[in-house]
Amino acid sequence: MSNRTLPRLLQSPAVLLLLVWMLVPLSMTLYFSFIRYVLNNLRRPEWTTPALSNWRGFGNYEFVLKSKDFLFAIQNSLLIVCSILFLTVILGVLIAVLINKSFPGQGIVRVLLISPFFVMPAVNAVLWINMILDPVLGLQGIAVAGLNEMVAGLREMPVLGGFFSLWPEFNPISFRATQTSAYAVIIMVTWQWTPFAILIFMTSLQSEDQQQKEAAILDGASTWSQFRFLTLPHLGRPIAIVVMIQAIFHLSLYAEIEIVSRGNGNKNLPYLIGEFANNNIGAASATGIFAVILANIVAIFLLRMIGKTLME
Amino acid sequence: MAIVAQNSKYGQTGRTILAWAVGLLFFFPIFWLVLTSFKTDADAVKPEFLFFFTPTLENYTNMTENYDYWRFATNSVITSVFATIFALAVGIPCAYAMAFNPSRATKDVLMWMLSTKMLPAAAVLYPMTFLTKSLGLFDTHFMVIIVLCLINLPIVVWMLFTYFKEIPKEIIEAGQMDGVNTWGEIKEILIPLAWGGIASTALLCFIFCWNEAYWTVRLTTTDAATLSKLIEGNRAPEGLFFGRLSAVSAAAVGPIIVLGWFCQKQLVQGLSFGAVK
Repeated sequence: MSNRTLPRLLQSPAVLLLLVWMLVPLSMTLYFSFIRYVLNNLRRPEWTTPALSNWRGFGNYEFVLKSKDFLFAIQNSLLIVCSILFLTVILGVLIAVLINKSFPGQGIVRVLLISPFFVMPAVNAVLWINMILDPVLGLQGIAVAGLNEMVAGLREMPVLGGFFSLWPEFNPISFRATQTSAYAVIIMVTWQWTPFAILIFMTSLQSEDQQQKEAAILDGASTWSQFRFLTLPHLGRPIAIVVMIQAIFHLSLYAEIEIVSRGNGNKNLPYLIGEFANNNIGAASATGIFAVILANIVAIFLLRMIGKTLME
Repeated sequence: MAIVAQNSKYGQTGRTILAWAVGLLFFFPIFWLVLTSFKTDADAVKPEFLFFFTPTLENYTNMTENYDYWRFATNSVITSVFATIFALAVGIPCAYAMAFNPSRATKDVLMWMLSTKMLPAAAVLYPMTFLTKSLGLFDTHFMVIIVLCLINLPIVVWMLFTYFKEIPKEIIEAGQMDGVNTWGEIKEILIPLAWGGIASTALLCFIFCWNEAYWTVRLTTTDAATLSKLIEGNRAPEGLFFGRLSAVSAAAVGPIIVLGWFCQKQLVQGLSFGAVK
């Protein structure tokens, strides 16, 4: 008996560390969310130190729920997360099916496709918002300007010119406004995470039942129905996993929002917490608790789903 | 039949072209970053120098003056390496215990570890800042290392656990028969056997540490600031400095992309927690 006690004790450092890491800050957040606690307040200096005498009950929660930003941040978080999930899953499935069968240079294409995933989020944001999406200096601006020039040239043509003169002048889109910057974030994160979806789906496709597939081909099943009735059901689980893991990562998206949309009103929950935390710690903490609840809803689904098969 | 064969031949060519197009499209932004890094700041924004320009290394040679690159890079290396070492030092014994001496609680403990990863970092932003400042650890390497180690510990334990599970129990038990103690089992039997798995876990952990961009930005100012902080802090009117900005960005992500190519498979296992094989 005793020769199993020591080995089991070996897991305690990791467990203890994670326990402290999770419980200490979280219980502080919970505590701060129920008291009045601000960093600067000249009229009520007693609020600048956390104390039970500043108890506010659910006041912070009420304050957060009533603030206009909160609803917007939730909507925006969901818009960003859902769009990214939708795009990465569709693109991921299509591309994974496309490159799954061998073709010349398959290995190289795989390496090209996976690369975006390893780009640091800060670099991802800086690269896209400046060098690609910028309406003047970025590739977008250059491409739109080039297109306009081309159309202007075509207008000079004798007969067809009349047709081209009906074309409007194209305007580049600025991705730094409140709503468009959310799209910029969606584009760059989709670029970064589609490779992850491809990788997971490809790994899963390799374990697809080939005999079943050959039988379907012999029976004259079209490529579409093979995909629809064999491949897609086979990908059900991996899709669920990709959705859940990404949901967790993207609900706490921060660097991209910070770089792309600082100060222009496009915010998600983590960003809103950061804003509150500049002064109103009580409100920041209450928002944090909401974020925890939101993440937990997602997490429960994930744990249920992958928990079963992990232990097989 | 001949028609079918013909069709599939065209199909094959078409698929190859399409696959390459998609691959190149996805890689293009990285290519563009590297290409821009060889242009001068003035050339980088001129449409006429889009693809044809006189390449220069000046952005790379001036990286130290422009951005103090090496200080941030050194911090990134130090924090990522030590965080990975600590995560392995704590994670290997833990995964060993779970894989070879499981108790009834093991499954729940693993699940709980995973759930800590789902805690949104922003929720504990202020308490963490408060704690690090009051302990005098704000902007220190020590704090960044601890935080990086802890946020990656669940993934490290999970990955190691899935690798260790594949090792037949009998081998470990044979060691016990020979009178090897627990420490000896880990050092002399487990680590040599699972070397490949441990190496790829370390690699993946290192990559995640290197790319981390929440705590490294929020808990540092200068002394322990990493490359994430450097890039994120540098948003001033970059319009005029595409060249030098690209050079420093390319230098920050280049090594990691190359490392990443070597651990694609492990990435799947690590991030899907072994659920996709």
